[in-house]
Amino acid sequence: MIDKSLNWIDDRLGVAKGGRSFLDKIFPDHWSFMLGEIALYSFIVLLGTGVFLTLYFVPSAHEIVYHGSYVPLRGQKVSEAYASTVGLSFDVRSGLLMRQAHHWAADIFLGAIAVHMARVFFTGAFRKPRELNWVVGVLMLILGVVNGFLGYSLPDDLVSGTGIRIAYSIMESIPLVGSYLAFFLFGGNYPGSGVIIPRFFVLHVLIVPAILVGLLAAHLGLLVKQKHTQFPGKGKTESNVVGSPMFPTFMAKTTGFLFMTSAVIFGLGGFAQINPIWQFGQYEPYQISYAVQPDWYMGWLDGAARIMPSWEWVGYGHTIPLEIFLPAVIFPGLIFNILLAWPLIEWYKTKDSNYHNLLDRPRDRPKRTAAGAAMLALLFGVFFASSTDVMANFFQLPLMDVLWFFRFFVPLAPIVAYFITFKICHEMRDAENIGKRKRALIVSRTTDGEYVTAESAPRPGDGHEELEAMPVPTFIDTTDPELATAAGVRRVIR
Amino acid sequence: MSKTARRSVTARLAAPAALVGVVAVFSFVAFSSGSAQADTTTSTTAPVTVSTLPDAQPGTVQAVPTAVSAEPSASATADSASNHSGIYYTDLPASFIKPGQALFAANCSSCHGSEANGKAGVAPNLQGLGAGTVDFWVSTGRMPLANTSVQAIRKPPRFDRIQTLEIAAFVQSLTPGQGTQVPLVRTAGADLENGNTLFTLNCAACHTISGAGDALAEGAYAPSLHLATPTQVVEAIRSGPGNMPHFGPGNITNTEARDIAAYVTGVLQHPNDAGGVGLGGIGPVGEGFVGLLIGVGLLMLVCFWIGDRA
Repeated sequence: MIDKSLNWIDDRLGVAKGGRSFLDKIFPDHWSFMLGEIALYSFIVLLGTGVFLTLYFVPSAHEIVYHGSYVPLRGQKVSEAYASTVGLSFDVRSGLLMRQAHHWAADIFLGAIAVHMARVFFTGAFRKPRELNWVVGVLMLILGVVNGFLGYSLPDDLVSGTGIRIAYSIMESIPLVGSYLAFFLFGGNYPGSGVIIPRFFVLHVLIVPAILVGLLAAHLGLLVKQKHTQFPGKGKTESNVVGSPMFPTFMAKTTGFLFMTSAVIFGLGGFAQINPIWQFGQYEPYQISYAVQPDWYMGWLDGAARIMPSWEWVGYGHTIPLEIFLPAVIFPGLIFNILLAWPLIEWYKTKDSNYHNLLDRPRDRPKRTAAGAAMLALLFGVFFASSTDVMANFFQLPLMDVLWFFRFFVPLAPIVAYFITFKICHEMRDAENIGKRKRALIVSRTTDGEYVTAESAPRPGDGHEELEAMPVPTFIDTTDPELATAAGVRRVIR
Repeated sequence: MSKTARRSVTARLAAPAALVGVVAVFSFVAFSSGSAQADTTTSTTAPVTVSTLPDAQPGTVQAVPTAVSAEPSASATADSASNHSGIYYTDLPASFIKPGQALFAANCSSCHGSEANGKAGVAPNLQGLGAGTVDFWVSTGRMPLANTSVQAIRKPPRFDRIQTLEIAAFVQSLTPGQGTQVPLVRTAGADLENGNTLFTLNCAACHTISGAGDALAEGAYAPSLHLATPTQVVEAIRSGPGNMPHFGPGNITNTEARDIAAYVTGVLQHPNDAGGVGLGGIGPVGEGFVGLLIGVGLLMLVCFWIGDRA
């Protein structure tokens, strides 16, 4: 029965050959190779919960009087977007869980991308032939950050409204085109003509996700086509792939991981409050709350803007507000372009045009590792600078002291991190037996009174056993019809 | 001194009022999360108004004990409060002045001087500030000062309710009729929606929208409002302690001040954390740490668990 229906599909679509080789696909096994899957599965949760939210969210800035079940808001004039989000939270069954899971999934999605990217960077997995996939990944990161911002801006609450206000100013700060751009997007001077919520909505639920799905398909397609990288080891060469097959080993693992990821996201969604917009109230341009930060993945931009001195350039009847243009436009532009161009930068330095399917140990590439550490130090510096006020309040320090600390810390930390990492890599590379499990030393005394030490035998599991190369079944293409039928797979002749 | 005052107050408590006091203490123990300890310690000895705010959380009964105890003379309790804006003032009894003077001499005069007229460069002149201002600083524990930092910190008060009011009465007696008076705040029947709007407009810019407080320039900070009592909220609005601007009745009417006090003590101190653990009410900073450390961190451990570690 199953055979028949599979044959029916194969006769029409010809999927058997591709499907067979897909199921036999070998995935190298290492825990760090699964980090990207966290992002993949939180993206799936994002899509699922997101569809649920669109069923109830009203993307409109039209003002209505709130009559829902949250008492302190009753009778207030709020936008339909805000009212429907509060309604989603209190009056829709499981709405709050879905909303919170969606928000946590976004935080985890971008966090997983960052961790996955660090793995790819430090092991050199972006080298030829995988430069394009690196670029696709960075583009997905940028779009993920953008879509996160668009998404948390939609409820039209006090905190996110402040974020939109800042985004407007950032756009305006661009020389020559800034004010036109801002007027075009907002439909007039701030807060615009009420178009920003519907426009953000279309971008957030349709356009950006569609591009993300396309890039994701390309990312995974390239992964399958180019095969996964592997760490060097016995039996592993540039021209083979050692690992578990897609079916059944990898499929079981990865499906389990999908459930684990959803469990963590929905666990947080059920037990940890995120973005309680009913406590913040509706956004009005004349209102402001202190202690407003963006979500974490935008925090580094907020921090850069905070520590920037208030400089501006005035001339020829124009003003360029450098205090916002440099940290919020030039700085992220620079960072993202360095990320996109990194394979090219490294090729320019090394002129290395060989294929690389074996990964580097980070310590074997001290300069790259140090550069990565410097980049992380810079981003962590500006990231922490985005909570100057929270830190000042928590540690009871003067706010300006904290700010000045970060003005020095942010430029100095990358330099210090670079040299320390470089030094550590060099020391590790020169040390013998580093990274290997230590064995017990047996000290014995000879009859002459001399003491000798000898290493004990390796512990079980420490030695690498060589794997026999397993030939991939090739009977799909066999010309013997008997064999093909017996295996339940048919040869397809066009 | 204070003993006689306490006895007379107790004597004047009618049986229903005593019952109300017991209920206040009980409901405080049952529902409160550790706020307003200053008021509950005296709520059995001083007249008590209990207000149960409208149910702010769908599906949750929320009794908010706002034990307002400002008025020992008890002339203006339940009966006259019904047709009032929610805040009213009466003079502190003259019998408070003498013990207040003794307390002031022992605890305050070394800096503020025996006539409360201050000392240049050390302590401000208190004359003319009124009993409400003194009550705010002493009842929040900010005075007597712990150390001479930029801003006095809130700490458990040194004096009980009666002693605090005695000191306030003494300072008031130096300049009768001037300054901020001690208000009696009835939060029952307050307009929470109006309090929400006014708080967002006037207070959230420094105290944050959740009332958690935050750092300001030059080492100053807007304190957390999570321990404030309705009386203290109104006294702060009217007197403007420290860096805070003071709002007169022309800016914020008595009714509006009462609504803000009800919103602070009713909604902000008992926020509707429908979504789970509140994460400190500091917004995306706390959320980012949880999302990265618990969310991503846990999933990385899962990777480490199911993946190969060789």
